[in-house]
Amino acid sequence: MIKDILQALSIVAIPLIIAAFVAYAARKKVPVYESFVAGAKGGFEVAVKIIPYLVAMLVAIGIFRASGAMEILVKLLSPIANLIGMPPQVVPMALLRPLTGSGSLGLMADIMKKYGPDSFIGILVSTMYGSSETTFYVLAVYFGSVNIYRTRHAVAAGLIADAVGMLGALMICRILFG
Amino acid sequence: MLNYVWIGLVLIGVLAAASTDIYDASTNRYKNGEPFELQYDSTGVGTGTISYSREYYDKFYGVQIDYPDTISYRAALAGNSINISTDEESPEIWKTVAKTDDNSKQITAKVLSRQGSEMTILLPTTSLVKTKAVLDAVISYSELAVKISLGLIGVMAFWLGIMKLAEDSGMIKIIARILKPVMVRVFPDIPPDHPAIGAMIMNMAANMLGLNNAATPLGLKAMEHLESLNPHKGTATNAMITFLAINTAGLTLIPATAIAIRAALGSKDPTIILMTSFFGAGLATIAGIAAAKILQRLKIYRIKDQPDDSTPESGGSN
Repeated sequence: MIKDILQALSIVAIPLIIAAFVAYAARKKVPVYESFVAGAKGGFEVAVKIIPYLVAMLVAIGIFRASGAMEILVKLLSPIANLIGMPPQVVPMALLRPLTGSGSLGLMADIMKKYGPDSFIGILVSTMYGSSETTFYVLAVYFGSVNIYRTRHAVAAGLIADAVGMLGALMICRILFG
Repeated sequence: MLNYVWIGLVLIGVLAAASTDIYDASTNRYKNGEPFELQYDSTGVGTGTISYSREYYDKFYGVQIDYPDTISYRAALAGNSINISTDEESPEIWKTVAKTDDNSKQITAKVLSRQGSEMTILLPTTSLVKTKAVLDAVISYSELAVKISLGLIGVMAFWLGIMKLAEDSGMIKIIARILKPVMVRVFPDIPPDHPAIGAMIMNMAANMLGLNNAATPLGLKAMEHLESLNPHKGTATNAMITFLAINTAGLTLIPATAIAIRAALGSKDPTIILMTSFFGAGLATIAGIAAAKILQRLKIYRIKDQPDDSTPESGGSN
């Protein structure tokens, strides 16, 4: 029930927002068309601005993934994962999630294919996927759009959020699905 | 810190690739130069199937694979070379051999001898596997970055247009006013009626509803407003970092992608993760905000008085 409402909401949200904004602007006597075009002009510029930042970030992540360093890292981290009760099969997910969206999506599908979507590992891995965002992509794009390269504690804060998200996913799945 | 992460990813990647390749070469993991024996059964002119037993493969490569007893593939003979079509399900080493050979699923091997259906072949020399993969990654990921960026232009323009409308009409201020009590606490540095607040709320709302297409443009609009309040160009402000920490936690009411994949894989209850991932991402959001607030007080993360500039060459190691 709640699920259906939420899904319906996500579909009607955009048309409703658009209609509301346009109607309100028209009532306030804003030259709607002119104003929209003036804003939309920035689209190209922003997209081009983020290219160098995104190239830098994705290439570094690409090198890291292609090199097989991930497998080595997973082996090194398995004992720690064992200690906190994280199944070894989902350790790559915890590592990959902040780095790449498409990569972790593929990994989630692979793991669920292997162990079944309704197994404990299947539920855990999809919860982990849903408990976080692709931190490095967000950092590159958002900071890139305003030319910020001294990011201070942004990486640390983002990674702490990721780690807590992964541990939270593990905890809730352990409690609910054993 | 992004500097160090970047250096780390690149150097660890290259070193891992090089050491894996050196190790593989020293142990001759791909058995370069050693003849491989298999069965060739002709099914037509120049076409047929090859097959070998799992035992032979295991012994040849010194591995243990989880496979049916007999492994077979379609093959085509041409002169004294043979084209073997492998697939996604092929054993690891053969998949790697095929990929490194000519970046396809075909292995082109040399036929050394053929007597009846008994055939001996020489597989292509396979070396520098990881180094080649790294090289491919550099090119393909650079292209991907441009593709993603340019792919944003359309939706970006659309949402920036809508946002401009909302700003000109005063709608954004109204939205900002509703959530003022919360936003003032999370973003104390931003004046409560600044358009940045409205844009950030719009971005978070889009994220909550799972509208990824809208969330990024709205978030970038918010960044633009936040940047207008930034006295140190090129350096992130506290508000920006808090905002990004919230974004990287990815709190959403409907984790649509994960649910779709679960459904596609035949889950009996694909939406079972609604609650669990809301819990996980909720904790992540709280932790992200708390971490941003605590870390911004640390000495190493304080903004140093650097001349206003926006050229990366001038340094700054944070």
